[in-house]
Amino acid sequence: MNSGLKSGLVLLVLGIVCGTLLALVNSFTAPVIAEIEEAAQYDALKEFYYDIEDPNYENFVITSDYDIDKLEINEDGVEGIFVIKDKGSDIIDSLGYLVYANGYSGDAPVLMLIIVEEDMDVIGYKVVSHKETTGFGADIVDNDFNVSSLIDLSGFDGVAGTTLTSNAILECFNIVAGRAGDDFGGGLDD
Amino acid sequence: MEKIIALAFTAFIAENIILSQFLGICPFLGVSKKRSNALGMGFAVLFVMLISSMVTWVLYKYVLEVLEIEYMRTIVFIIVIASLVQMVETFIKKVSPPLYKALGIYLPLITTNCAVLGVAILNISKGHSFVEMVVYTTFIGLGFIFVMYIFSMIREKLDNAPVPKAFQGIPIALIVAAILAIIFSRFGGIF
Amino acid sequence: MTNKENLLKGLVKENPLFVSVLGMCPSLAVSTSLENALGMGMGVLFVLVMSNLIISLIMSNEKLAALVKPVRIPVYIVVIATLVTIVEMVMHAFLISLYNSLGVFIPLIVVNCIILGRAEAFASSNKPLDSVLDGIGMALGFTAAIAIIAIFREFLGKGTITVWGNLVINLKGAFTFIGIEPIGMFVQPAGAFLSFGLILAAVVAIGNKRKEKLAKGAAK
Repeated sequence: MNSGLKSGLVLLVLGIVCGTLLALVNSFTAPVIAEIEEAAQYDALKEFYYDIEDPNYENFVITSDYDIDKLEINEDGVEGIFVIKDKGSDIIDSLGYLVYANGYSGDAPVLMLIIVEEDMDVIGYKVVSHKETTGFGADIVDNDFNVSSLIDLSGFDGVAGTTLTSNAILECFNIVAGRAGDDFGGGLDD
Repeated sequence: MEKIIALAFTAFIAENIILSQFLGICPFLGVSKKRSNALGMGFAVLFVMLISSMVTWVLYKYVLEVLEIEYMRTIVFIIVIASLVQMVETFIKKVSPPLYKALGIYLPLITTNCAVLGVAILNISKGHSFVEMVVYTTFIGLGFIFVMYIFSMIREKLDNAPVPKAFQGIPIALIVAAILAIIFSRFGGIF
Repeated sequence: MTNKENLLKGLVKENPLFVSVLGMCPSLAVSTSLENALGMGMGVLFVLVMSNLIISLIMSNEKLAALVKPVRIPVYIVVIATLVTIVEMVMHAFLISLYNSLGVFIPLIVVNCIILGRAEAFASSNKPLDSVLDGIGMALGFTAAIAIIAIFREFLGKGTITVWGNLVINLKGAFTFIGIEPIGMFVQPAGAFLSFGLILAAVVAIGNKRKEKLAKGAAK
């Protein structure tokens, strides 16, 4: 057999073996990774709603004071919305947006949780995950972006040296500002 | 447009590949003793980095993501880079012997240069679009050349400086790099 | 060489980081805390031991070796890249905070010169057992070296030493004692270059002293 062909075959066989092995490992780790990502979202929410106890991530969380639904949306930068209602009531208390800007879900430079009330007051926000270089990461997570209402975002304060991530975070706020009014006005009913 | 300028500036100075991301340290220390070598290596890296980032970006978006085998990323990228380096070498040798003479010896070293694989992966994980990827990679490459050039000038002078025996060679080079890193990190706040 | 020599040479005599100065990029980047350094060391340990084992198994079988020889570098790279991807997936699933702080440097283990270097220089021409011992020794030597840099940087930069997870040794008292704050620069990129340069100079100085001693001893 021609030696070039032989070498090619060796590499092909090796590639197939390695690919299969990786597919196997991936089938074990992928569900765990998906669970971790979802858990991080609920953990972020927990910081603002303390009484969420051990949410069962597959089902909706029902806590003592609130009913919380998660809507999977995945459009225009919004990955999902936590709909938070007072226990037993139909009136939306607040909406928690999982929102990302620039790029694809999972690949985006930053995933934010932004919780707003009907009057556009921001109850809280949290960086759920980010891709900032080591060293700037902590600065981004701990930063006070100086946003208290979505009506006026001019006071937004980014983190020096992380222009791109800061811009992405401002864009996240803008995305939420652009749709929160409609969502509170019944836009989520269908 | 403002976004692209910010991206270019960040890639060039604030997130300088050598001084803040620690990629491509081996050529930075190994091939920076002379200005001409530093420039040669710099351009070879820019060239390979740009081509391989484009190829890997397209492969990732249109093959790996479509087939949902993103976990093959590292293997596919490193194979692409290794074969590209081979092809670029053969191509340059045929088309432009003078260029080959200038860049040739640096090319084989680039396969194991973590800057090339690193930037290819960063372009994916930062979620860049094609245009952003090209801008980012170009300015990362230019930042690499810029720092290599400054550093080689300092090292040429350093040869005549009375450096304590234990610091000669790599230790003093690292301390010079530390001073450069301080200067570069100060530019981070501009944008 | 005996088994013991194979294992121990990576720790001091042929230390990959301080003597051969290989694998600089990850050691500068992840030495911000001891936890990161140990995590990186674990990843390298797994990849290096497994790749040394697999490659020496392939190359010690004559038929396989003849097939692989013309394309051995690509074969090594594919084997190493597979192992690295496994490390990446397992860390993502079970050690998420470590995965986030090591970031791009996990896939970059592929181009860590130590691993390809050991495959070509040692595993391809030695028995499987020797190769595994060599891999363990080299990886531990690498881990010890980045751990030293990490302790130096984290202590001076933050006044703490993060061993693992919540196990943090707080040494801020030492700074209050002399009346200064921890020097934040040491955990920044510049501090990485500075610390590595200083530690490397110290290692060279110790080595020089020892050589002088040996030379004196020989002269007598």
